[in-house]
Amino acid sequence: MAEQGGTAEQSKTVEEPKVSAVELKKRAKADKQARRAAQKEQEGAPAEVPPATNGAHQEPSAQGQGVQQDQKGKAAQAKGQQQPKPSKQGGQDVRPERGGPSQPQSIPPRSKAAPAAPSKELPKRDNSVVELLSHLYPIQRRPNLAGVSKDVHPAVLALGLQISTYEICGSSARCVAMLLAFKEAIQAYTTPRDTSLPRHLVSHHLSPQIDCLRSCRPLAESMGNAIRWLKKLIVELDPDKPEHEAKDFICEEIDRFVHERITVTDQAIAASARNQIRTGSVVLTYAKSAIVEKTILQAHEQGTRFRLIVVDSRPLFEGKRLATSLMRAGLEVQYVPFSGLAHVVKDATLVLLGAHSMLSNGRLQSRVGTASIALQAHKADVPVIVCCESVKFSGKVALDSIVLNEIAPPEELLLSPIPEKSPIHPAGVATTAVTGKSAVTVTSAAISKDASEDDEPAKLKTLHEWSSISNLRLLNPMYDITPAEYIRMVICEYGSVPPSSVPVVHRLANEGM
Amino acid sequence: MPHATHPPSPGLQALVLCGPGLSLNTFTSTPSTLPKCLLPIANRPMVWYPLDWCHRMGIYDITLVTPADAAPPLEAVLRSHPVLTSLSGPRPEVLAPKGLEMTSGTAELLRLGEVQRVIKGDFVVLSCDFVSEVDGSRVLQQWMGLNPSLAASSSSRRKGGLAVYYPTYGREGISSKKDETDFVATVPLPKPNVMLPMGIEEVVMVMPTDTLNDTLDENKQALPIRQTLLAKHGNVKIRTKHRDAHVYFLPLWVKEFVARNEKFDSISEDVLGWWAKAGWQAGLAAKLGMDEVLAGKRSTDDEGANAGSVDEEEEVDATALSSTKSAPVAVRQSPQAFATRVRTSTAPPPRPKLAVPPLLAYMQPASPTQPLIRRIDTAPQLASISLHIARLPPSDPSPLAHEHKIHPSASIGQQTRISQEDCLIAENVTIGIRCNIKESVVGPNCEIGSNVRLTKCVLMDGVVVGDGVQMVGCIAGKRARVEGTSTTGAKGSEVEVDGAAVKGKGKGKQKATSQSGGEEDDKTKLTECEIAPFFVVEAGTEAKGETMKAFDPEGEIGGDGEEDVGDEEDAE
Repeated sequence: MAEQGGTAEQSKTVEEPKVSAVELKKRAKADKQARRAAQKEQEGAPAEVPPATNGAHQEPSAQGQGVQQDQKGKAAQAKGQQQPKPSKQGGQDVRPERGGPSQPQSIPPRSKAAPAAPSKELPKRDNSVVELLSHLYPIQRRPNLAGVSKDVHPAVLALGLQISTYEICGSSARCVAMLLAFKEAIQAYTTPRDTSLPRHLVSHHLSPQIDCLRSCRPLAESMGNAIRWLKKLIVELDPDKPEHEAKDFICEEIDRFVHERITVTDQAIAASARNQIRTGSVVLTYAKSAIVEKTILQAHEQGTRFRLIVVDSRPLFEGKRLATSLMRAGLEVQYVPFSGLAHVVKDATLVLLGAHSMLSNGRLQSRVGTASIALQAHKADVPVIVCCESVKFSGKVALDSIVLNEIAPPEELLLSPIPEKSPIHPAGVATTAVTGKSAVTVTSAAISKDASEDDEPAKLKTLHEWSSISNLRLLNPMYDITPAEYIRMVICEYGSVPPSSVPVVHRLANEGM
Repeated sequence: MPHATHPPSPGLQALVLCGPGLSLNTFTSTPSTLPKCLLPIANRPMVWYPLDWCHRMGIYDITLVTPADAAPPLEAVLRSHPVLTSLSGPRPEVLAPKGLEMTSGTAELLRLGEVQRVIKGDFVVLSCDFVSEVDGSRVLQQWMGLNPSLAASSSSRRKGGLAVYYPTYGREGISSKKDETDFVATVPLPKPNVMLPMGIEEVVMVMPTDTLNDTLDENKQALPIRQTLLAKHGNVKIRTKHRDAHVYFLPLWVKEFVARNEKFDSISEDVLGWWAKAGWQAGLAAKLGMDEVLAGKRSTDDEGANAGSVDEEEEVDATALSSTKSAPVAVRQSPQAFATRVRTSTAPPPRPKLAVPPLLAYMQPASPTQPLIRRIDTAPQLASISLHIARLPPSDPSPLAHEHKIHPSASIGQQTRISQEDCLIAENVTIGIRCNIKESVVGPNCEIGSNVRLTKCVLMDGVVVGDGVQMVGCIAGKRARVEGTSTTGAKGSEVEVDGAAVKGKGKGKQKATSQSGGEEDDKTKLTECEIAPFFVVEAGTEAKGETMKAFDPEGEIGGDGEEDVGDEEDAE
């Protein structure tokens, strides 16, 4: 690597006097762009890079073997013979070999294309967004109360805030909480004079509530299914029904829905899934799922003796919560960070996973990291079983985690809160924060070092300033997609089905109503 | 300030307590004409600040609770004062409960039947002397976002409360060592999810500094702290330089909690103090009847109103499903094991240990860049806050900034210099020629003669300042008169008509003679004086650090409703 860099550097210096007019123009262009941008120093580096690489590419064509000879002496003199060279330089020389025979004319377009890519990036400068996933970024996250419609019911508002702070997190928890909040909102509703409840409630009263929740966090698949069900229920109501009766009816139906589709379903799934856990099993699970927790607790209460491995990851540390509650229940729990996955997966005999959603092509959408767990388990021939209520089944199809996903605020990846608002604690309290922060400083310094070499060395950037580091982006996705072939079985209230049966269950449960 | 958007209603109602203002008694000695809540702060009645704060949060259901004799002037001002009438939304209601005296404690006030009837849901209790630049909705948001289990349903009895504390230090020109402080012990929130909520902590002990000093005196200058506190919380932080802003976001069950405990006197000391302790002190919650209040024994009407069956709701607890919470199984299990071993004789309670809802606090960090939160219950604070607001440029994002630094209707004489950036001149003010006004707030309808020098002064409504007067750091009450050189005779005779003024004048004369001894007619010089409403300061008076008020045979109103304990009468 060092040698490569060295050659590139050398070639550049050697090449300098012979810069073509095109090259000069390009450089002037880059300079101009650099001047336009706010931080001159930082842009110096990326602006300088393209000419350097360019030079490396161009070198064989522009000067033929001349430079090559300068650099490596007589070794490279004979074009056809590569034998005398050391192997690591071989890589370097392949390009000249390829470039050499081709005509010099073929190079300019390529060199033109090379700097074009970075120069496109330069003016854009939106460091907070990873471009491949830019469609997933929410328009506005962590809303303040001011931005919300006036019609939003306080209960929904509070729920929205709790969802956005992850106080209530997880697909079924959010779904249940949403329905309970909607009950409140519906009870507070009065039908205006000239209209009827079935016609007015959904469009004028319910939709602002839904929008409010959506602005706090994208809706989960289960929430979407529940909302669809609720809307259908309301629209099909008899318009002549007295208002309070209709409202009571809706609330009872909501209770019934929660009871049937989530509470009892969870029981049924847990009862079925616990039979998969046998004495002596080692169950591996990831993050926290309410059904998985229930299953494990039931199996434990049944008297099955088994061991548990909880794999967890940042930033939510949901597995910690699961490990805590299982440990309290008296289970033998091993808590492993995600990085230790490969080590523990060998011990496991069963992988139990929760779901955010089951997609119609049999793929599983769940907390980010699940796919790796399933992959590792699949490789180690450990069966992967997904527990999922049918309310989370979806008609959507996704092949990768790019099309359907949710991007959480990147700030959540920071280890300590943003310093401007926190460091006021005098003296002693700061110690823990300092240790955490120093770790961050080191990593981010390492990151930013190659970014801005010409930056004054005294100023260390912390990760908190990530958005001002030009070539650093943070990405905090919430979910990923696990391929169907890694999943042995999906347990839902309709029984244990293969992933390929997901669309059937979805049609039965969510569309057949 | 016009409201750009109406925030959604957070489903709260506000109670603004308009107390007697004991420490401001230079200006509030007659509550039937000028109660404390109508004292102008930077040319707005004091009560405007909490009202505006609530409105910016989206709370429009506001009740002003005031003693009966202060109600008529308050209502009149609410109807007529341009600043108050320009507030959007419905006009707040004034409630003057019969039993409410000037001396009533705040918790006592909550127990009154009228107030109990008014409270229908979760509520915010504010004091009328609360001035805040902090966006209330941000604090409210934290309260709503952090409320634990089932908070989404209004019938829930497990919501916590939130208080606001601000540092009394670290702000130049506003912070003063003499400010009242409270003793607060807090612990960090137990479950930080991804982001730590900014500045929110859980209160475990709270008391006013006076009580703290009493405790210290009783215990040979040591503060006894129970082992249970340290056993439960390993990381307790004690602050003695923060002050309670007297803003409490309280859930509905607190109403019952207060009603049940007759001995609670004030909200800040007793209600919050006991609640905070009940969170960790074994058995205390039961002693205070908290368990029954939280179980909602009496609340059959609430349950009736809620359509769904309550058992059902109890069964599906969204929080139990949440992936960021661990199951509360342990709460049931561990105490059982513990109880069987330690005290088998005393039958362990059949129900699981009561989880007391947390009492949260927003502890504002001390930094000059932080937005301002203050309570104004002393004259120096009134002056410093008024001057702080006067310093805000009209373009300032602070909601307290005035649109006009110098109102267009003010008439200003020639060669008069007013430093625009730190002065505030209200409407209909007349200022003579060759005046020099710096860092001052001049209230509406004031008349200022010629050659007057005002520095760091606060003049309330209708103050008359004669020619050639020099005032530094003075606060002049409503319709006070400071006489200057040339117009002494004429103005003095005019004033004789007013009875109160005559009385005041008498004493003023005494003071003047005792002070300056002779007839130094040429200059009236006042430094750091407080001048009571309707008081007339004689020409030629030279005074420093005095309180000028008419002798009041009835004496001051004893007791204090809102912990206005500070003795600021003898402010230097």
